Amino acid sequence: MKYKPYLYLAPALLVLTIFFLGGLVFALLQSFGYFPVLGLTQFTLKYYLLVVKQKEFMASLTFTLYIAFVSTFLSTIIAIYLANYMVNLKQKNKVIDFMYKLPIAVPHIVAALMIVFLISQGGFLARIFINLGVINESGQFPPVFYSRNAIGIITIYMWKEIPFITLMIYTVMKNIHGKLNDVAATLKASPWQVFFQVTLPLSMPSIISASAIVFAFSFGAFEIPFLLGATYPKALPVWAYYNYISPDLYNRPIAMVITIILTSVCVMLVGLYYLFMKKYLRQWG
Amino acid sequence: MTKKLRKLLFILLILIIVLPVAGCGNDKGEVLEEDVLEQDWDLIVASAQGTTVNFYMWGGDDRINSWVDNYVSQTMQETYNITVNRVPMDAPEFINKLLGEKQVNRQKGSIDLLWINGENFRTARQAEMLWGPFAEKIPNFNEYVDTDALDIAFDFGFPVEGFEVPYGKAQFAFTHDTARVSNPPRSSSELMEWVKANPGRFTYPEMPDFTGSVFIRHLMYELCGGYEAFPYVEEVNIEDLNEQLQPLWAYLNDIKPYLWRQGETYPSQIAQLDQLFTDGEVDFTMTYHPSRFSGMIDQGLVPDTVRTFVWDQGTIGNTHFLAIPFNAPNKGGAMVLANFLMSPEAQISKYDPTNWGDMIALDINKLEEKYIQEIESTDLGIATLSAEELANHRLPEIASAYIQVIEDLWRDNVIKE
Repeated sequence: MKYKPYLYLAPALLVLTIFFLGGLVFALLQSFGYFPVLGLTQFTLKYYLLVVKQKEFMASLTFTLYIAFVSTFLSTIIAIYLANYMVNLKQKNKVIDFMYKLPIAVPHIVAALMIVFLISQGGFLARIFINLGVINESGQFPPVFYSRNAIGIITIYMWKEIPFITLMIYTVMKNIHGKLNDVAATLKASPWQVFFQVTLPLSMPSIISASAIVFAFSFGAFEIPFLLGATYPKALPVWAYYNYISPDLYNRPIAMVITIILTSVCVMLVGLYYLFMKKYLRQWG
Repeated sequence: MTKKLRKLLFILLILIIVLPVAGCGNDKGEVLEEDVLEQDWDLIVASAQGTTVNFYMWGGDDRINSWVDNYVSQTMQETYNITVNRVPMDAPEFINKLLGEKQVNRQKGSIDLLWINGENFRTARQAEMLWGPFAEKIPNFNEYVDTDALDIAFDFGFPVEGFEVPYGKAQFAFTHDTARVSNPPRSSSELMEWVKANPGRFTYPEMPDFTGSVFIRHLMYELCGGYEAFPYVEEVNIEDLNEQLQPLWAYLNDIKPYLWRQGETYPSQIAQLDQLFTDGEVDFTMTYHPSRFSGMIDQGLVPDTVRTFVWDQGTIGNTHFLAIPFNAPNKGGAMVLANFLMSPEAQISKYDPTNWGDMIALDINKLEEKYIQEIESTDLGIATLSAEELANHRLPEIASAYIQVIEDLWRDNVIKE
C-alpha cells in the first residue's frame, strides 16, 4: 500500500492544487493577455514589455529586493548569535526562553502597530525627545516610516523573523552542543573554533532553510509595505495590488505580470541560494 | 507502482471534480430573483422579513460605521426584522470582487447593497455588474427625490439610469486649527505662498485616495481653465490631457520640496493625513464631509479651535449612491434597506454632525413641513460652514473617465521624478 501516504495527504494536496496552482495558472493566463471577460483572448507578451519598460519596475524590484535581503541577512546573523548564546548558557534561562518566542505569536500587523507607536515621528520616542528638549518638533525625529530607506519596515520584519530563525536553529545547535562540542573541547578547540568548525557547519542546513523561508516571505509580503511604505517606489506586491484594484479593468493583466515576475524571482533566488549553500557545505564538510 | 499511482491520480481527479459540484449543490431551490422588479412593494417588504442584507461600504470613518451599526441596524431590525451586516471594503476592492464573480458567472454572490459613485459606478456599469434599473421601485425615491437634478441623474457625468439611488451629498472642505493658522490660504496661489513660507507643514493624500484625488482637481480647476475646460467624454485622450495639465504638474512639482517630508512621500490615505493633522505634524487636512470636524470636536477628538473653510472659487461637491450587484442574493432586502436609507428620518439622522453630518440627498422642497423644521433646527456645529455658504461655493465634478487618467498622470509627472 505505497499510495497510502498520498491518500492521507490528499486533502492538503487538494487545497494546494486548487487554490495555489489554480490561482497561479489563472495569473499566468491573464499575464499573457488571456482575459475573456474583457474580450481579450489573444496571447501576447505586450503586458510583460509594458511592465519591464516602466521606470517604476526597476525601482520597485530593487526596493523589494533591498527590504528582503537586508531584513533576512540581519535577522539570520542575529539569530545565529542568539541561538549560540542560549545554547552556551550553563542553565536554561526561562525568561529568555519565553521572551524570544513571544514575537512568533504576534501577528505582523500588531507588531507593526507597536513599532509605529514606538519609533514614528509622532511616536513615543519622538515625544520623549521633545519633552527632554533634544528636538523641537516631531519633524526633526529621523523618519523611518513612509521613507525610501525602509528602516521601519525592516525593523518590523526583524522583530518578527529573528525569533523564528532562532527557534529553528536552537534545537539543532542544542543537540550538537551536548555531544560534538564536548568532543571538540576535549581536543583543545577554543570556543571560537568550536563555533566556527563544529556548531556553525552542522547547523547550516537549518539556517539555510529558515533564512530561505524568511526571505521568500519578506519578498512577497504585502501588508507592511502597503501600510508603511513610501509613495515611490512601491514594493512589488503593493504595486501589483494598485494595478489590480484599479477601476480600469485593463490594468488586470499588468497586475498579473507583476505577480508572475514576483513569484519567478523569488523561486529563482531561493533555488540559487539552496544550490550555492549545498555546494558550499559539501566543500566545507 | 505505476498502476497504484494511476489509481491515486484517478481518486484525486474524482475528488477534484466532485468537491466543487457538491459545494454548488446548495444553491438550488432559491427563489428566482428576477421576479423582484415585478413584485408589489408590500410583498417585497414582507418577503424580506427575517433576512440579512450584506451592506458593503467604505469603512474608513468610525462615526459613519457606528451610525450604520447602531441607528440603521437597530431601526431596520425593529421596523422590518431585517439584519444589516456592514462589511467595510473600499469601492475598488468590491468592484474587483464582483468582477471575479462575473468572470466565473457566479449567480449567487455575497454582496446585497453597495455604497458607490464616480469611476467605480462607471466601471460597474460598463462591465454590467449592477442589477436594475430598480430606482423607480423605491417609494422614497419616487416621493422625495428630484429625479431630474443633474447631480442625481448623472454620477460624475455618467448617466445613472435607475441603476443606483442617491444616498447623500458631499462637498470638499479644508480643515485647519485656528490656534495654529489664523488666516488660511483660500486659493491655489495663496496656498503656494503659504506652503513656501511654512515648509513641511502641508501635504495631501497620494492617488488613488478619494480625497487626495479631489484635492488636485481643485488645483486643476484653478490652473487649467476651470471645470468647463473638461467637457463630458466617454474616453480620454491621454496625451492631450497631459498637455492640458502641464500647469498642474508644474505647480505640484514647485511646491513638492516644501511639503511634509519634502514631498518624498505622501500619506497613503486620508485617515493618515488626519492623523498627521491631529498629531500636529501638519497644519491642514481635508474632508469630503463638511461637518465631520464639528462631530469630532463634540467627541473630543480634536480641539474646539478646529474650523473648516472653502476656497474663494469654491470646492467640488458630488453625490454618492446605493447600488445592487447583479448577483445580490437578497435583492428585495437590499431595496428595503435602500428605501430606509433614503427616508427623511434616516437622512436627517445622517445629517446630524454628531452622527455623520452627510448632506441630505432628498429634494428639500418635497419634504413635509415637520422634516424641514427638523433640518433647520439641526445644529451643524461650530466647525461647519452654513448650508448657504457651501451651496454658493459648490463646483461640479468632471466626467469619471478623467479621474483614473489624472491619477495615473500624477504618478508619472509628480512622483517618479
